[in-house]
Parts: sequence; C-alpha cells; structure tokens
Amino acid sequence: MRSQTLLVAMVALLAAQPAIAHITLEGKQAAVGSYYKAVFAVPHGCAGSATIKIRVQIPEGVIGVKPMPKAGWTLDTVTGKYAAQYDYHGAKLSEGVKEVAWSGGKLTDQNYDEFVMQTFLTDTLKPNTTLYFPVVQECEQGVSRWIDIPADGQGGGHDHGSKTPAPGVKLLPKS
Amino acid sequence: MRLVANLAALLVVLCLATSAHAHAVLIGAEPADGSVVAEAPRTVVLRFNEAVAPTAVSLLDAAGKPRDVAIRAVDQSVVVTLPAGLPQGTQVVSYRVVSQDGHPVAGSLLFSIGVVTGSAAPSADGVLHTLIWLARLGLYLGLFVGVGGVFFAAWIGQGPAGERLIMWSLKIGLVGAIASLGLQGVDLLNLPLSGIVTWAAWASATGTSLFATLLLAIAAMLIAAIAWRSPSFGAALTRTAIAMICVGLSFAVSGHAATASPQWLTRTALFIHGIGVAFWMGALAPLAVLAWQRKESLLRVLRHFSTLAVPVVALIALSGLALAVVQLESFHALIDTGYGNILVAKLVLVVLLLGLAALNRLVFTPAIAREFHRTRPLQRSIALEFVLMIAILGLVALWRFTPPPRVLAMSADVPLAVHIHTDAAMFQVLIAPGKVGPNDFVLQLMNGDASPFAAKEATLTLSLPERGIEPMERAAARGADGYWHVRKVPLPVPGRWHMQIDALVTDFKKVTLEDDFEVR
Repeated sequence: MRSQTLLVAMVALLAAQPAIAHITLEGKQAAVGSYYKAVFAVPHGCAGSATIKIRVQIPEGVIGVKPMPKAGWTLDTVTGKYAAQYDYHGAKLSEGVKEVAWSGGKLTDQNYDEFVMQTFLTDTLKPNTTLYFPVVQECEQGVSRWIDIPADGQGGGHDHGSKTPAPGVKLLPKS
Repeated sequence: MRLVANLAALLVVLCLATSAHAHAVLIGAEPADGSVVAEAPRTVVLRFNEAVAPTAVSLLDAAGKPRDVAIRAVDQSVVVTLPAGLPQGTQVVSYRVVSQDGHPVAGSLLFSIGVVTGSAAPSADGVLHTLIWLARLGLYLGLFVGVGGVFFAAWIGQGPAGERLIMWSLKIGLVGAIASLGLQGVDLLNLPLSGIVTWAAWASATGTSLFATLLLAIAAMLIAAIAWRSPSFGAALTRTAIAMICVGLSFAVSGHAATASPQWLTRTALFIHGIGVAFWMGALAPLAVLAWQRKESLLRVLRHFSTLAVPVVALIALSGLALAVVQLESFHALIDTGYGNILVAKLVLVVLLLGLAALNRLVFTPAIAREFHRTRPLQRSIALEFVLMIAILGLVALWRFTPPPRVLAMSADVPLAVHIHTDAAMFQVLIAPGKVGPNDFVLQLMNGDASPFAAKEATLTLSLPERGIEPMERAAARGADGYWHVRKVPLPVPGRWHMQIDALVTDFKKVTLEDDFEVR
C-alpha cells in the first residue's frame, strides 16, 4: 500500500515536471512598440549535465538589444543586417544584434539561474501572436535546443506537444 | 515451314501477353498504383530496385489530355513533378527508364484524385515488340549459324561447306544487330515506329549496355566474314577463334544474367554458353551440306565433331544450369513467372534436341560408317535439330520482355517506403524490412523541390499511440551515401506507428515532418 502511494507520488512528480522543465521567458506578455525585459529562466541542465552556454536568437522585429552582463559568464553578441529598416527614437536601424550568447560559466543541474536582456519590440510585430526567441542550451555533455516554433494556426509550442518549445511572449496591441 | 510459322506466331502471342517491363522493377510508388487521394499530389515518386535513368515520363490527365511533367532522378527514385490544376478523376502516369544493365523498363501508374473515373490503360506496342523479337532472333542466327559455321569450317570441317547459309546468316545477323540498336532506342523513348529514323533514338540506345553487346556481335560477324576468305589455313584458325571469343564476350557484357551476382560466375557461364551454342549450331549447316553432297570427308568430319560435341554439350548444360539457378531462385518460379515458363519450354526443346543429337551420334553416324550412301536419315535429323534450335532461340529472345524471378524476388522483399512532402521539405524514408522486429531506417532528406537538403543533425522519433508506446528518440548518423541512417530500431508490435523526423538546418532552425506507417 505504501509503495503504491510512493509510486503514485513519483508518477505525479514525473508528470508535473515537464511543465517547469523548459527554458521560458519570465514576462509572459508585452505590448508592441515598447521595451521588453526578456528574462530567460533556465531551470536545469541537459539531462542532468551542467549548462555552460546559452545562445539566444533575436527574432526579426526586435531591436535595441542590450544584454545584461553576468558575473562568471562571458557575453558575446552577433550582429547582422535586419530584414527591414526600423525606426528607433527617430533613427533608422537596419542592423543590430541578432544573437546573444553567455558562455564560460557553469550552472549545475541542481541550480536555477536567469539570463536577461533589454529589447525593444517594434510595432511591425503583430499583436495577438506569440513572439518566439529560439534558445540553444549547451552543456558539458549534450545540447538542448529550445527552438520548436509551431506552424501558423496552431497553439503555443508547449500545447503543440513539442518536448523542446522555443520560449515565447504573447504580444499585446500597442498601448 | 508451316510448323515454324505457327511456332513463331505462338511466340509472338506469348510475348505480347507478358507485361512490357524488363529489368529494373518498380517496387513502390507514391501515391501508390490504383490509390485514390483526396487532393492532387504535387509529385509522383517512382521507386525502383536499382538506380535508373528516366528517358520519358508522360501524364494523361482524367480529361484524357496529355500534360507536361518535370522529371528528376534521385538515386533509385524518379520524382515526377505534376502540373497544377489536375481535374478530378483517374490520372495515368506512364514512365520509361533505363536500368543499369541497359534494359528499358516501361510501365504505368494509375491514381485517382477524389473519384475513380474511366480506365485508360495504355496498350503496349505489339508491332514494336515483334520487331524487337525478330531483330534479336536475327542477331542470334548471325552469331550461332554464321560465326559458328565459319569456325566449324576452319577448325573441324577443314574446308568450306554450307557457304550460302552461313553468309546469309551473317547478313541477317548484321541487320538484326543494327535493327536491335535502333529499336531499343525507339522503345526507350516511347517513340512511334517511325521514330527509328530520328537521331535521338539511336543516341539514347548507344547509352545503354546493349550497345557494347551489339558492337561485339557486329565485330564477331565481320571478322567471321573476313575469315571465310582467309589467305592461309593458319589465318583462318586465328580469325575464327577471335570471332568466337567476340561471340562469348558479346553475351557476357549485358543482359539479365550478366548483371546478376555473383558476376564472375554469371559472366563466365554466359561466355561459355554462347561459344558452346555457336560451336554446336554452327556445325549443323556444314554437316548437312556435306551429307547432302556425300563428300568423302563426311565421315572424318562427323567423327571429329562427335568427339568434341560431348564435352561441349556438357559445358553448355553446366553453364545453363548455373545461370538458371542464379536467375530462378526457386522451383515455383518455373510455373509462377513468365521467365520460368519460357525456361520450361526451352528445357523441353533442349531435351528433344539432345535426343536427336544422341540419335545422330549413336545410330546415324555408325550407319553411314557401315554403308556410306545412307545419309538421308542424318540429313533429316540435322534439319529437325536446326528447326528446334531456331525455336529455342526464339524462346530465348522472349526473355527480353520478362524479368527473371531473381529480380522479381527483390521487389517482393522490399523495404517499406514512406514519402513525406510539405512545402518546406520532402523526406523519403525506407524501413527495412518494415516488419515487426529490428528495422533499419534510411532517411533521404530533400528540399521541397527535390534538391539535396543540408542537415546538421537528424533525429527519428517513433511512437505507437494506439498501444501506448511513447515516443522513442534515436539520433541518425550520416552515412557515406549522404543519407541518414538509424540501424536496428526495434518495432516490437504491429500497428500504425507514428514517425517524426527532425532535421536541424541551423543551430536555431529545424524542419520537422511527421507521418504514419503500418507495421505487420
């Protein structure tokens, strides 16, 4: 009887785990045409192995990216041309940060950490859709790619049944 | 003569009744033959048991209108891109490809969009097939009666006999060889018969392995014709020997059997079989003429031939047996397949032939030795032997139209093929053996337009939801062939399995395609 209870508890635990096991964005929604502080929550490593690098791809329409430095981690950015030109405080921006990477640190599987950047969501983004930031989590052993973006017309990455959905933020109309 | 004509007519009928495909075999198609699909597919994928080169693919839509299609060969598959706006109903895709051994393979595939309409089955071109068969028969005549006859005159008869028949055979053989090439081209490109005058027909035929066979055959016959007028006895011996070797090589370089493995065995057997038959058949015309003229050399020549004939016939039988074993694979195939039926008919005639040969050797030849004027029975027997041999050659020429059971068996034991096609990509998945137990997966990744898809990684995920089998994930390894392989994946229970393939394009982007497949 007791072992059965234990089993049920374990199953419940296992079943509950996937919900918190993803890399997610802390702020679940944001208005277009405004700043957004993107906080990437990293709850665990890759199948038990410690995280040593986090790479985030900046989606098109997101500009003014300023990553927050982290003690013990090296910060790198990759810049490139945007697909379009964006207005940013009166200036025209046609290139900027496309990828941000924190590396050189070590985040064990037992610990939790957050990786932060400030961004500006241009009003070219469509309200009432989800904006995805694909993330590659590199570990001492193995890689987890949080890059699954559902096809148009389907629900969010997690609802879609993907094991590795890209973190997303729901876009609200310009306030 | 009437007997021959009847036999020929029978053979023609037989040849028309057997289906038109020869060597490479279509082992699968997407959409499958006879299937009904809800929406018009963008492509039709034809899968063969070996790599093929497409020569012509046509589409007859449900309205009976021919439509243009784009074709592209991807290894063992031919991808046919269909035009947009196909009407509802049954569409016919006719294809024509060349297999590695040089045989053209033709066939049709019917699939229906929405509903099944009409039944526009294309008819095989009977006249063309009859001509191909006749050309092949003529070629055999030139090689066996012609070249064999010249060889006999030089080596056994040691004097010319039966010149008219031998020379005519060589001429017929040369015409047959050249006609075979042109007709092969016409068949290959699916042209009307008048297409034999086009350059394209000849050019496409020279690209097949049949070309090498025909070149060697033509060389053999020309050398034989020259050898007939050799200035010296020694020159005749050398030239006829070279011509005979060309005959053997001609058989060894192409055809059903030459491409069967083990090739060292099949090619050697074909070489021996060809030369042996040429030796035997070549002897008949000169012997008949010597007997008719009652030349005093007859008895010496007969004895000389008889002594050699025993080991030669043994070699023919042995090499023939080896080839039959390789090609047939089982006794059932003798009855179940067109190829096997022809072999049975051939063996019956061969037994009759051997009976006649034994009669000649054991009864008629000693009779002539006792009373020299009694040559009539021998003449009749030789004439009958000749007719039988022609009939056998007619049967053998029919093999041009039937795939051997070895090839058919390959098509029965084919891997399960799943074709997944979206805008983004086209994945072709082969699952071998496609049955319960360990299976090897081959993932052929292509872009939507069938160009190669460059993936950094590929993963295969399998599940069987109806039996509660949750996704099992396996990383695929890129093989030397450029495809992604996952070996020894257990599929423990039958059912409708779900498969998901993730192909990583860049670090941040992957393409995922899913489909179901049935495991029995």
